[in-house]
Amino acid sequence: MSENQMSQMRSIDPAWAWKPFEPTSDQPWDRSAVSHLYRRAGFGMELSVIGEAVKREPAEVVGKLVSANRESTEFRSTADALAEATLAGGDPEKLSAAWVYRLLYTPNQLLEKTAILWHGHFATGAEKVKDARMMWNQNQLLRDHALGDFGSLVKKISQDPAMLVYLDWAVNRKAHPNENFARELMELFCLGEGNYSETDVLELARCFTGWEIKNKRFRKNRYQHDPGEKTVLGQNGDFDGEDGVRIVLDQPAMPLFVTRKLYRFFISDEPEPTDAFLQPLADLFRERDLQIAPVVERILGSNQFYSQHAIARKIKSPVELVMGMLRSLGATTNTQLVARGLLSIGQGLFFPPNVKGWDGGRAWINSSTLLGRSNLIADILDSDATRFDGKTLAEYLGEHDVQTTDEAMMYFEQCLLAAPLDEQAKDQLRHSTVSQPGDQDQQMRTLLHVMMSLPISQLG
Amino acid sequence: MNIHLNRRRFLRDSIGASAAIGVGTTLPECFAEAASTSIQSDERILVVVQMSGGNDGLNTIVPYADDDYRSARPKLAIPTSEVIRCDDHDGFHPAMTGLKELLQDGKFAAVRNVGYENPNRSHFESMDIWHTCRRKDEPRSDGWLGRFLDQQPAIAGGDVPALHLGREQQPTAVASTSVRVPTVKELAEFQLRGNNKDRLRELLETRPPATSLGDNPLLSFLESSTTSAIAASGRVTEAASSYQSDVIYPETDLGNKLRVVAQLIDAGLSTRIYYVQHDGFDTHAQQAATHDILLRQWSDAVTALVRDLDAHDHGGRVCVMTFSEFGRRVAENASEGTDHGAAGPMFLCGGAVKPGIHGKRPNLTDLQQGDLKHEHDFRQVYATVLRDWLGTDPATILGKDYESLRLFTS
Repeated sequence: MSENQMSQMRSIDPAWAWKPFEPTSDQPWDRSAVSHLYRRAGFGMELSVIGEAVKREPAEVVGKLVSANRESTEFRSTADALAEATLAGGDPEKLSAAWVYRLLYTPNQLLEKTAILWHGHFATGAEKVKDARMMWNQNQLLRDHALGDFGSLVKKISQDPAMLVYLDWAVNRKAHPNENFARELMELFCLGEGNYSETDVLELARCFTGWEIKNKRFRKNRYQHDPGEKTVLGQNGDFDGEDGVRIVLDQPAMPLFVTRKLYRFFISDEPEPTDAFLQPLADLFRERDLQIAPVVERILGSNQFYSQHAIARKIKSPVELVMGMLRSLGATTNTQLVARGLLSIGQGLFFPPNVKGWDGGRAWINSSTLLGRSNLIADILDSDATRFDGKTLAEYLGEHDVQTTDEAMMYFEQCLLAAPLDEQAKDQLRHSTVSQPGDQDQQMRTLLHVMMSLPISQLG
Repeated sequence: MNIHLNRRRFLRDSIGASAAIGVGTTLPECFAEAASTSIQSDERILVVVQMSGGNDGLNTIVPYADDDYRSARPKLAIPTSEVIRCDDHDGFHPAMTGLKELLQDGKFAAVRNVGYENPNRSHFESMDIWHTCRRKDEPRSDGWLGRFLDQQPAIAGGDVPALHLGREQQPTAVASTSVRVPTVKELAEFQLRGNNKDRLRELLETRPPATSLGDNPLLSFLESSTTSAIAASGRVTEAASSYQSDVIYPETDLGNKLRVVAQLIDAGLSTRIYYVQHDGFDTHAQQAATHDILLRQWSDAVTALVRDLDAHDHGGRVCVMTFSEFGRRVAENASEGTDHGAAGPMFLCGGAVKPGIHGKRPNLTDLQQGDLKHEHDFRQVYATVLRDWLGTDPATILGKDYESLRLFTS
């Protein structure tokens, strides 16, 4: 991160930053601002929907997005029925495709996007858990709490079979407590490294003794619980696991730690905001009893969110890249192809790299993933299963009065790119697509592939 | 002979396909230079193997005669009868047969009790410390190998100065301010697909399309990364295509990666740093079986690499260095595993290492928070590798002078 960026960041007034967004001539509430909101609060939206939202007030659009914080019964039963068919086979790899189905069809994009945030936060990998049912149950847990109560999410995660198996915690005896969950609870889930001591790890681990997984279910084995007095984060008592979680959640470092994660996820990868800058959000989080929705609503409706510090200041995750293209163009495709493809470019759903989850930002990008991103887009566009509102790409665009290469370029630019292309870039694109062989549909797909492969298209 | 043919083909290819991976350098001049300057492919090379998750050093170089070792690990101590003995006190884990042979051939060295002051037991924080040589409160956007790369003059012929092979996230150790180190997941996939791939490559390679965005460091990063990816893609794939070897590598992830390293070295790439990761060492439960598999995979793959390089006359100019972010607790836990610890051994393999087990036998009774105290700072090993192997001044890279250890014969 450059000094320049740091000083820019320091010059922003937090009071201004977290106030409700007031459009200005520099930052108007226009198609590009709405498109930014839908990209960050989800994956992307068709231009017709964006056009409708421009006519409404920012706070109203954001409020509606956030209030849809539960899955409708109807959609859940369809998605679950499909997942059940997958679970019957017991193959964790196929779970990925079941999640991709939700990403492709959900009417609550913000909910699904936040579930991905928590999957990366409470990262649990199927290659170690090796039980599709456990992984799926955890996934539902993350979805049910995605915009709900963070405190109960942490409590449930601390007794979640998939998590405990992942952290080698299926058996935890008082004689030699396993430190792994206690450490990660403080380091990765709630407080951040530096906000606890090694003694806290040992003492907190004692609180959790006796917690185990038997027949794939959580239970407390009272014979293995260490009932003695412990000192955790400055508090003394004969604590059990629930006490341990409560003490960790009560730490002053907790709201800032979680808020920082939300900031990075929804606003920008870099530069890192200061504690003081995040404090208003952290205060809100504590005041609202650790409810996630109000903080997310504040973020998505803030001046900061629509400022130059947020727009085009994130690198798209693989899911954002692929789903962004598909959802912005009303497209559907082979969910298995997408699931495998996401894994190959670094974001296999149910397969995070380790307990810290995905670092995001620049870490998404390297030579292999850049080529892989372009190749995956090519594979999806070449697949017979890929349809745009049930049609070919050329037919879809035709229905939106898009006929020529230039019109298509403009259409893609508006719904897919975080920043406009300049004339020289457009010239190069014309040059490299118009001369391509093939019918109009082939040409449109080529143009889309090339645009999606540009460095700028990796910005969200 | 083979090597020279490969080099010549390389040179030819590098004129057509862009080669320089330097960020912000003007590519056409590099091509011109590449045509006129011969590639230096006799430079010394460092291959880094990262054991991710915290390797249990006590069960790797085993103090089998120490009673404290057995009492701390009633279930996990390696039975004396199974230890591969080096002397009356120390031996190797039974899976390390290949490395024992390398030791006998004078090509293996272990440095014991390597760590740092005030050890951190978080995987991520400790790994960051090993990668950047800096603590959390210091700025650390680059890694120790990245800083080494920054100091190297751009080599005409423009091969990538370092390469990370693997599907994991790129290690911070190779992060640099002036060069982008490519990550290559699989050679077969390291090429653009699609029916418009030639035009696309041209478009991405010539010059990234300009945009109306002002100073956006993320966009600059994406642009230079894209240029780097396109340039490396053609060269690396080509380099490995015609390799032949009699050495049989284990059919494991690590074995496959190290075979590619040998291919690229033999093809005459002027790349000096190769980085691979070997994951799975976080053995909190049921450690014995997992650790056996991991050490066997490591030992077999590294042994194959050293043998293969020897057979192709590169044995004297390649050093393979293995490290982990920490060792593990001395005492086993109740899940027949071990929790996060502190100091542990590092390993060097190759024709020029001073063979043997360096450093004192670990003291299993004088512990800090249940862990071994360190005898050597890991930066002493880095300093030795930088000065005595890569031939550069370590002080500027590591931030201060560290006393070298004698780990190389020349």
